[in-house]
This record gives sequence, structure tokens and C-alpha cells, in this order.
Amino acid sequence: MALTALYANKLRSFLASLGVVIGISFVILMGWALDGLDHAMADAFKALGADMLYVDKWDWAGGRRWDLIRQRKPITIEQGKELVERLQTPELAYMYSNAHRANFKCKDKAFTGISVNGTGWQHSQTPMGSILEGRHFSIFEAQQSARVAVIGYNVNAKIFPEGGAIGTLLKINGIDFTIIGVAKKQGTAFFDFLDNEVHIPFGAFIKIFGRERSVGISVKAGSEENMERVKSEIRGLMRSIRNLKPNQEDDFSINELKAFDEILNEMRKYIWGAGIGMTILSFIVGIIGIMNIMFVSVTERTKEIGIRKAIGARKSSIWYQFIIESSVLCIAGSIFSLILCSIIVYLAATFLPDYWPKADLLSPYLPYQLLFIASIVSIFVGIIAGLVPAIRAANLDPVDALRYE
Amino acid sequence: MSEIIETEKNPLIRIEHISKVYEMGVEKVYAIRDISINIYKNEYLAIMGPSGSGKSTLMNILGCLDTPTSGLYHFTGLDVSDMDDNELAGIRNKEIGFVFQTFNLLPRASSLKNVELPLVYGGVSSSLRKEKAMATLTDVGLGDRAHHKPNELSGGQRQRVAIARALVTNPSIILADEPTGNLDTKTGEDLMILFNSLWQKGNTIIIVTHEEFIARHAHRIIRLRDGLIESEEVNPNPTYSLMKN
Repeated sequence: MALTALYANKLRSFLASLGVVIGISFVILMGWALDGLDHAMADAFKALGADMLYVDKWDWAGGRRWDLIRQRKPITIEQGKELVERLQTPELAYMYSNAHRANFKCKDKAFTGISVNGTGWQHSQTPMGSILEGRHFSIFEAQQSARVAVIGYNVNAKIFPEGGAIGTLLKINGIDFTIIGVAKKQGTAFFDFLDNEVHIPFGAFIKIFGRERSVGISVKAGSEENMERVKSEIRGLMRSIRNLKPNQEDDFSINELKAFDEILNEMRKYIWGAGIGMTILSFIVGIIGIMNIMFVSVTERTKEIGIRKAIGARKSSIWYQFIIESSVLCIAGSIFSLILCSIIVYLAATFLPDYWPKADLLSPYLPYQLLFIASIVSIFVGIIAGLVPAIRAANLDPVDALRYE
Repeated sequence: MSEIIETEKNPLIRIEHISKVYEMGVEKVYAIRDISINIYKNEYLAIMGPSGSGKSTLMNILGCLDTPTSGLYHFTGLDVSDMDDNELAGIRNKEIGFVFQTFNLLPRASSLKNVELPLVYGGVSSSLRKEKAMATLTDVGLGDRAHHKPNELSGGQRQRVAIARALVTNPSIILADEPTGNLDTKTGEDLMILFNSLWQKGNTIIIVTHEEFIARHAHRIIRLRDGLIESEEVNPNPTYSLMKN
């Protein structure tokens, strides 16, 4: 019965539920975007290895302490070497260093945006060192500081779109390196800079970029359970190597991928913060819209309410009729939103990455939990919006209502 | 009250000294004043009076749509004057069948749905509802119009649907408010024949009207004026002349 009235006023019902449609669409799209972030993060963990630790002057989650961190003394090669030699618990430990500004030349063309990573042969035994084509440099090449390079996935794609990278010469700051391997794609949306790197032996790196740079130490704990033990060993050793007094703070950071979780949570907060405001606003508009149309509906159907009461409808029956009507309105709105969002999401995930590669973390499907959330929210909104009009309808005096024209 | 009343003479409706007062600012307006009526089972009663006589108010109180300001109203032995809205709704649903001047059918529902509606509120199961509604529609001669909507029916047919809706719960009284007011004379007469036959089947009928020739169908006529009972007469010669068989 409640449905007939809605169907009779299709256009009006649709317009009334637009606010709800917009509100629910916000919730759904926000949930979808966050879900995309989560998946990207999980992918990154898998790709980069959740048991990796990076001892560094810089703190990945540094944020507000940036100034303090900048004043830290660099970690010298000697300190790095000492740490690597003294560590007992981890599976692997080796030094690395990065240079973000280097002159690249290959096939007589210059490139920017490529960073150089001087690293150990052990790099090949971490997930990040997986090779797509060719090979990683060996322990001997590392010891001899051989001029060999493993190029990142994007570097290869950029310089050698038609293949043939292996064996080609590459000039880094004027010095020739032979490309011996291409790394697998590491990048998710967050770590795509990893695909813009060129890996060379640590010794060769120092010869080009000098000994003054702060170095980092990559440590593979071996398992996630081992992480805490390895961390406390690193901390103890580093404090003694860096001659810290008991009351001094650590002047180095032990970074792990989890640090990105914090960054991600920060992003999540911003997305929710921006989204939730608009969502609440559009739900208020939605509730007012539906409440208004329900008031109109009650007034229009005063006579009908009188007839129903005269033939024995209780207050509760009338109340239910209008609550169901407004809930159906909202549920219809949410179904419409789901369909609309499914289309948006599918199109976004299909076509957006062509223009904006980072969008490839987006899934073309809506997470199913959102369906539950959307339907629960819409029923809730329907009840809230219908409550006052329904009570007014239920409390109408039958004599007055029957007399209404 | 512990008086012993002989069952046979126990009235279906007992109204004692009821008044309905509306307060217009400081002034009190009596819509009806100190009215007492007994109505017995299978009576055919007409309530007459010009507009403003209080007959609508009396009808609303008789129909449990409204409660009196003072006085007693006993319906089938139950004290109605004290009931709350939901109890009154229950009485209206089970015991009273309304027939209105303007038919008051739900415009978007078929005849069958309209007739089913009181049973919906009475909590009758869907299949039984259909069956009863169909049978009642057939009784009033509209079995073949069950799936028509009100706007596809003539005035007389609409009023028959309304009568079927009033009858479907098998109520104690049929309360008709100017039932022929929106019908032409011929159709009105046909409708009065239907009321006569309903009475013959044992129904109690109360017709509220201002037209003498309609009231003449009843067996007792109560006339109201200015909220008071002006006269009460037994009609020795009710109009059956049109009832051929």
C-alpha cells in the first residue's frame, strides 16, 4: 500500500531522494577509495617484504620532527660496516646509499628523475631485488666495485621501450656502467619511485659520489616474528657505535614498512575528514528533503488517513505505513546510488589509469561490505526522516481527517 | 452498577445524557446536549435534522470516531466513553460498518482491495481476506467489478463497493451518513432497496439523512434540532413498496 503512493509520484519521489543518493554515493566512493589504498598497501608489503628494516639517519615517518632529524650526524661508512659485522640475529645486513641527483646518459640521451642506489649483492636476496631480465650483480662484482648496473622497471621502459637493455652502456656522472639486469616492477601507487632506481655495487657508488654521504643499512630480519629481537639488537649496537650516553635520544631511525601505515592512516583521516563533512551535509539535506516530501504526502492524504482510521486502522498501522514509505524511498535511493557508483567506479578503474597511472590501485568493483553499510544507513535515514511526519499522520483526528478536502 | 437486565431487552447501543461541547474562546458551544437513545439489534433507524442540528456529531459519536464530553455510551455492553484511540479503532473495525455520502474509497485501489482493507486492519490472513471480500462484493452485485478502480465505476457502483466494505467484517451496526446524497434519485432508490434487504438479513442499520423520503424507509425516526432531540416517532409504514420480492 505504501508503495502504490510512491509509484504514483515517481518524479517527486526521485527528486526527494536525491539528497540521500548523494550522501550514500559519498560514503560508497569514500569507502571504495580507502579500500583501494588498503589493497595498495597490502600489495606493497608483499612486494617489499614485511620483515625488512632500514637503519638510516632519516626517519620515514619523521613528519614534524624533521628539523631535529636533519641535525643528526650522518651515519659513516665505518659505522655502517661495524653494524653489519656485529649484527648476529638477522638473516641479511648490508649497506646502501642513495643519490637523487646524478647525470644519466644512455644512447647519447640525458635523463633526469632517475636515482642511483648503491647496494650490496645481498639486495638480490630480498623481494626488492627480484630480477625480470638478466641478472643481479654477484658477490665478486660487489667486492670489486664492478661497473655494472641493474636498472629499475620504469627506467627500462623509458630508455628501452623496445627492449635490448642488457649489455648496453649507461653513463652515471660520466662513468660507464654495463647494464646486466632489469628489476621486476616493485611499484604500487606508493612505491613507484622504486622503479625509477638504478642499482649499482656499493663500492662503485662511493667512488662516484664520495664517502661523505650518510649511509643506510638494510636488514632482513628473516621473519616477522624476529623483527623485535633484531630491532633491539640494532638499537643496542648503534647506540654503542654512535657513542650515545644513556640519557641521549637515538640519533638514527630504524625504519620499517609499517611506517607507511602511519602515513596511510594520516591520509585516511584526511579522506574521511573531507568526505564525512560533505556526507553529513548531504544526509541532512537528504533527510530534510524526504521529511518535507513526507509532510506533503501526509497532508495530501489526510482524507485517506481518515478513511483508514474510520474502518479501523490503529495509530500504529498508519505510523508504519508512512515509515515504510520513507524507508522505501531511501532504500530505492541507495539502490540507485549503488548502481550509479558501480558504474562510476568501473569507468574510473578502467579508464583513469591511462591518464594517471597511480589510479591503477583502484578496484573496478565495490567492496561488498559497502552494500551492507549503504542499506543500513538508508534504512536509518528513512526512519529518521519519516518519524515526525508518520507521528503526525498517526495522531490525526479521524473526524477532522475525514472532513478534509 | 449491579442492575440485572433482561437479555432480550438489552440494547445494542445505550446512550445516556451525552453532550458534546466545543469551546470557542470563552464561549461553550453545545453540538449536542443531553441526548439519550437506545438502539436494539436489527433495528432500522433514521436520524434526521437540518444542518447544524448536531446529527453529524451524534453520528461520529455513535460511530466511535469521537467521544462525548459527558454522558454514557455503552456499545454491546462495553463502555465506549472511556476507551482510548486504539480500542476505539478496534471497535470501529469489528463492530461498525461506515457508509459515507462521498463513498470514501481509496482511489488507487481496486474494489476488491478496498473491500479487503478493514480485514487487513483486523489481522485476517490474505487468502481468507480475498475470499470474504469477493463473497461480499458478489452479495452487493459487483462480483464482476472486483478489479475495477473507483474511477472506473458509476456512483451507484461505488456506493455498493463502500457498502461491501462496511459489511465485510460482519459488523453489529451499519452507519450510513447521507448514503444517497451524491446519487441520482433512481440510483438512490436502488441503494435503499439494498439497505432494506440488508435489514431483512438481520443487520442493524442507522441512516443519517435530511431527506424525508429516505428517512421513511426506516422503522423509527429521530429528529434533532439545535443539539436536542426534537421528536422520536415510530414509522408504522416504512417504504417497502419498491421491494417486489
